[in-house]
Amino acid sequence: MSPPDSISQLPGRLALEMRQISKSFGPTEVLRRVDFELRSGEIHALMGENGAGKTTLMKIAAGLVEEFEGQILVDGELVNLTSPRDAARAGIAMIQQELSLVHELEVDENIFLGQERLRSLFLVDRRRQIETAREVLKSLDFRGKVQVPVSQLRIGEQQLVEIAKALVAKARILIMDEATSALSINETERLFQVIRRLAGEGVAIVYISHRMEEIQAIADTVTVLRDGRHIGTVAGKGATRREIIRMMVGREIQEMLAEDKGTTKAAQPILEVRDLSLEHPSPTPNRPMLIQDVSFSVGAGEVLGLGGLLGAGRTEVLQVLSGLHPGTSDGDISIQGRAVQILGPVEAKALGVALVTEDRKRDGLILGAGIDRNIGLPVMERLTRFGVVLPGKEKALAESMMKKLNIHARDPEQPTGSLSGGNQQKVVVGKCLVTEPRVLLLDEPTRGIDVGAKAEIYRLIRELAGQGLAIVLASSELPELMLLSDRILVLREGRPTALIGRSEFSQEVILEYASPGGAIQPEFAKSEVTA
Amino acid sequence: MKGLLSAGGQFLLKTKLFWGLAVLYGAGIILSPINRKGVNIFLEAGNQSDVLRQVANNGIIAVGMTLVILTGGIDLSVGAMMSLGCMLCAMLLTLQGWTAASSASIPILAVVAVFLCSYLVPMIVVSVRHGSAKTAQRSGWATRLFGLILGLFVAGLLVWWTTGQLKTKFGVLAVLVTVPAVGLAIGCLTGLIIAKGKLQPFIVTLAMMVAVVGLARLLGGETAAVYPVYTGSNATESFEILRTLMFRVIPVPGIFFLVAVVTFGFILRYTAFGRYIYAIGGNEQAARLAGIRVDQVKTAVYAISGMLATLAGVLFTSQYRQGKPDAGAGGELDAIAAVVIGGTNLMGGKGSMTGTFVGVLIFGFLTNILLLKNINSNIQFVLKGAIILGAVLLQEGQIGLWWKRLRARTKKLGVAETVKNEEQKQPAG
Repeated sequence: MSPPDSISQLPGRLALEMRQISKSFGPTEVLRRVDFELRSGEIHALMGENGAGKTTLMKIAAGLVEEFEGQILVDGELVNLTSPRDAARAGIAMIQQELSLVHELEVDENIFLGQERLRSLFLVDRRRQIETAREVLKSLDFRGKVQVPVSQLRIGEQQLVEIAKALVAKARILIMDEATSALSINETERLFQVIRRLAGEGVAIVYISHRMEEIQAIADTVTVLRDGRHIGTVAGKGATRREIIRMMVGREIQEMLAEDKGTTKAAQPILEVRDLSLEHPSPTPNRPMLIQDVSFSVGAGEVLGLGGLLGAGRTEVLQVLSGLHPGTSDGDISIQGRAVQILGPVEAKALGVALVTEDRKRDGLILGAGIDRNIGLPVMERLTRFGVVLPGKEKALAESMMKKLNIHARDPEQPTGSLSGGNQQKVVVGKCLVTEPRVLLLDEPTRGIDVGAKAEIYRLIRELAGQGLAIVLASSELPELMLLSDRILVLREGRPTALIGRSEFSQEVILEYASPGGAIQPEFAKSEVTA
Repeated sequence: MKGLLSAGGQFLLKTKLFWGLAVLYGAGIILSPINRKGVNIFLEAGNQSDVLRQVANNGIIAVGMTLVILTGGIDLSVGAMMSLGCMLCAMLLTLQGWTAASSASIPILAVVAVFLCSYLVPMIVVSVRHGSAKTAQRSGWATRLFGLILGLFVAGLLVWWTTGQLKTKFGVLAVLVTVPAVGLAIGCLTGLIIAKGKLQPFIVTLAMMVAVVGLARLLGGETAAVYPVYTGSNATESFEILRTLMFRVIPVPGIFFLVAVVTFGFILRYTAFGRYIYAIGGNEQAARLAGIRVDQVKTAVYAISGMLATLAGVLFTSQYRQGKPDAGAGGELDAIAAVVIGGTNLMGGKGSMTGTFVGVLIFGFLTNILLLKNINSNIQFVLKGAIILGAVLLQEGQIGLWWKRLRARTKKLGVAETVKNEEQKQPAG
């Protein structure tokens, strides 16, 4: 007789079984009698459009939802999962899309939060924690510092800390919600290696993602949800892209916007940037500045892509252009041939520069307020007379934007916090468009939104370019960048390394210029030498 | 039917604050002693008008506090500001010539006038000229110069008027203009420190509270801690007007309170400034990125809060016929309690002036009922504390959640038991 321990190592054993799970939020039914089975050692992709109920289903498994109907069995035992503590005891860990780290605590403190290593009864053994944290993080190819507050890490690095937290907790069921939405390609590849290794060790992994190519690369099994219902479960290797999309959407849809848009002949330049730079808050010898020597110009109707790995400085370029770093940034900016100084969001707005931020919940939206309030906010002076809001104007503006951007909501007053990610993102875009910008800066405009919404955003970006806006697009998704951009400026550790025309686009070329130690185009090499 | 029920439930939930007030009011009627003529004392016009007068000071402060809390801040200095207002008012009313009070407040009044005119006039001019223009128009230098000149002119006029009153001591109007102006200036300073220094409002206003209490005491000098104000003898007769009842029932301080509620309720609900307040409390970074001048809005709410607090100080002087440096001691806590009972979220972004109004009334009626019942004042404090906690728990919907959770837990365990039993049976069967 083998001991019970070795039994759980056998592949194919049912690790988690969810039976007939139903859940409603008020009048909306989010899940309806969903069955879900997960075997140990399996990488199980959970797919579906936004609002399909994937995240809710997994939140139930992670003990984050208090009320639901149905049963959950872990290792064949019926369990009562009504708190994260229950879930942790059952060996379930979930890494949420919106990371749940305590920003002020250091990396190891976060990893061991709630599972501190103790020296005696009360004293935390920091040294051992830091050691273990280093070890685990090293296995994840983590390159950041360990003894710093996690707020100083970039999102991609924070993600690895979350994974380390689950590993330290010895989770046997690991749920990852949109785990790669903030990762660069290299990091994604590294993460996949980690996931495969963990699966090899018998951990059951639920992988929620929108990215089709990832699913095909990694999943053993694919389960698709639609409108809160279980649509089907298929083997990952056998499933075709088309089949999965059909299951998700419920009908055959065209591969999104696959047709080439062709190169836009750049008219007169709208935005010209020379020698943009931004100081590093804590400079190191190999990275004295966050961004340096960044120069480019964008014409009317042109989309300039900013490529590069996580931390290359894409976001920072857009932030400087929006006036978010007055005092620490430098460079010459001119708009429609006129030299300008952008000292803050107020000036940016007056000059016709609008930014769609990377993190819509943190920087973009007032989640408790309605769509109308959010969209009206930047242009209150247009909606008021003597400071008093003109009745109906706000709502009318919101309604016209909702129609234009195809925002789905009950009414314009619906709180943005209750919208799906895709609709939230459209509200953020709407907030920018009402200011009637000449320059639109987009930072990860499709981060964490579903296929359908993505296609809509893509269409919208092209439409806006067609209307003569100058668009700067920063994205970590290369297919997206290549699909939308006319030219791509590649950044590496804060410096430009290449400007690639549409005809030369390929993932390999971009990655070559983006990776440290890779090639540099001659005209950019000079600046590196002088610095 | 179910829809109707849930709609009714929604309505009840939305108006629960009013129901709370109604229940309390009902309790007041039932619990009230009846006088010899068989009249319910609680319901007597005199008593009702008393309640309105008693809540007026706290209410006025709570109005300012609501604005501050909606931005996600807090103002602990309001009690001290009320004390300062009270001292200033009493001294200006009873002392002639250039005293500490007048020599401090008249220059401040002048500065406030210049500042307000040069700030507000261009805004109004732009609004008139461009109406609902497409984009924000920056005011030209001519408009700004006009604002500045107008400000200087108004300031000169105010200084001429107030210094003219120094010989005869201040009149009621002069006090009502001067004292709140001082509050506005100090509140503006507080706000500037918070906004520009990027500091926690809690700490900054705590420091301000300590400093302003000191200022109030300093003003009074060491010899006279309390300044009695006898209208008609050592102060102007006209000051008596703040003690009177309008139409024989509505106390004048109550009118100030109601006007403040309506004015700032309107501003919160229907103006761009109000929208900005909610936006900043909801997500400051998003508001900043939307091109809102967050620092200005923040400064303004603390300035308004300071102004209203010193106004409450003036009303205190009229009611208690004295100026004393501890007039507003603890006032900040009562105001915060009223705001919170009214359902305004301390994190900012959520709440309303109506809520605060009802919160103030709940607080006032409660005190009144306890007084009428002659309950030991120490027990009164305990009861008030309990009411605050209860109100907040109800507002946040926690009690309902606890109940639901309890039910869910018992239900699910029941299900779990039956399933386990079935599974145990199966292999056997």
